[in-house]
Amino acid sequence: MRNLLRFLMKYGTWFVFSFYVLLSCVLLVNSNSYHTSVYLTSANTMVSSVFGVTSNITEYFNLHSINESLQARNAELEGEVLNLKNQLAEYRANADSAGDDDIRQRFGFISAAVINNNTRHPRNYFTINKGYLEGVKTGMGVVDQNGIVGIVNVAGRNTARIISLLNETQHFSVKLKGTHFIGSLSWKGNDPTIAYMEEVPRHARYHAGDTIVTSGYSTAFPEGLPVGTVLNRVRSADDNYFTLKVHLSSNFKGLSTVRVINDIYKQEIDSLQTFDYKSDK
Amino acid sequence: MTGKEFIQYIVFFIILTLAQVLICNHIVLFNVAMPIIFIYPVIRMQIDINSGWLYSIAFFLGLVIDLFSDTPGVNALACTLLAGLKRPAFYAYVPRDDKTKTVTPTVSEIGLAVYSKYLLTMTAIYCLLVFSIEFFSFADIKEILIMAAGSTVMSFLLLLSIDSLSMPASKIMN
Repeated sequence: MRNLLRFLMKYGTWFVFSFYVLLSCVLLVNSNSYHTSVYLTSANTMVSSVFGVTSNITEYFNLHSINESLQARNAELEGEVLNLKNQLAEYRANADSAGDDDIRQRFGFISAAVINNNTRHPRNYFTINKGYLEGVKTGMGVVDQNGIVGIVNVAGRNTARIISLLNETQHFSVKLKGTHFIGSLSWKGNDPTIAYMEEVPRHARYHAGDTIVTSGYSTAFPEGLPVGTVLNRVRSADDNYFTLKVHLSSNFKGLSTVRVINDIYKQEIDSLQTFDYKSDK
Repeated sequence: MTGKEFIQYIVFFIILTLAQVLICNHIVLFNVAMPIIFIYPVIRMQIDINSGWLYSIAFFLGLVIDLFSDTPGVNALACTLLAGLKRPAFYAYVPRDDKTKTVTPTVSEIGLAVYSKYLLTMTAIYCLLVFSIEFFSFADIKEILIMAAGSTVMSFLLLLSIDSLSMPASKIMN
């Protein structure tokens, strides 16, 4: 105890100095939006190279669970392909003539690896190893093999920072699968497996276990991408709507490989929307 | 330090702070030179002042400027670091012996040439620190250096003028 006191007395001024420097740094990073953004942006060369190295080592630990979910998803897709093949054969048999060969595929995918991920904060972000050189742009949606996981926030040269679905400030337009009941999905913190679908009309019918999918009302995600399943209904702040508790289909703690969605009509749609806003004013 | 001296210190701090936030913060000469005068007390405090007090005064002085300038942490951090570098900067120009242990950095005590070098070094350190922290990225290193150099020259000249004008204040510092 005496030695500890002697140590504190001897280096007391250094502690005071370090305390003030730390306090200033905390103030700097927490109170200035520019500094916060620079500090938080993991899409910079130095930080992303460090994350890249650690990710190369740690990504093997999640391979088992990823493999399992991939196989499950693969099986589901195979079933879907068979159904579609049957439907296609049916339509071909009934079709008078083929006039739709030139319909281009609207959505493309850019595959990327997650090199840094966080689920502990109220506003979580993760970083992927693809940047604007590979075509990643701000505002693009990001999905993994199970469902949507976020939206591109900052696209660097070779890396990009993604606003995770586990970010309290982010809202996603979703709907109950097979219906037209739209709601807004957001995460409220704490549990990385639970989110809430708000603003669901009171007349909407649902059952526990129903699937929640993307509504397609944005250029970030096409319609029908899985988001999660309904758990139960919770109290809503607004009596005109109700809120559903949703179990997210993606495992955010084990994010490894994701796909960035590239909507080839995004620019056109965004410019049309801007045009509308301008003409409104 | 007597009660009267303490009050004089406080008044001097308030005047410098007000001059910084109301006048100097709004002057940016040729878009590169911003006068920084509130660091004067940190530079002029006697060398043997208790380090804990020096860091505390520097931190709160910077914090007050930050509150008025809406830049939380920028000046507080730079000012604390400046206080940490005060002694190394002073002893770079003055030999370290018993006589200089309790000296106050003033023109009358260490001479104009040495005082000017010390003042210029401290001002340059502060300007470099504050612009580096403000830009927070060395991608703009050229701009940081130009602004730091411009502000150093302007602040140095202003602080020398304050020195010659504020003889009563110099006595307070002694």
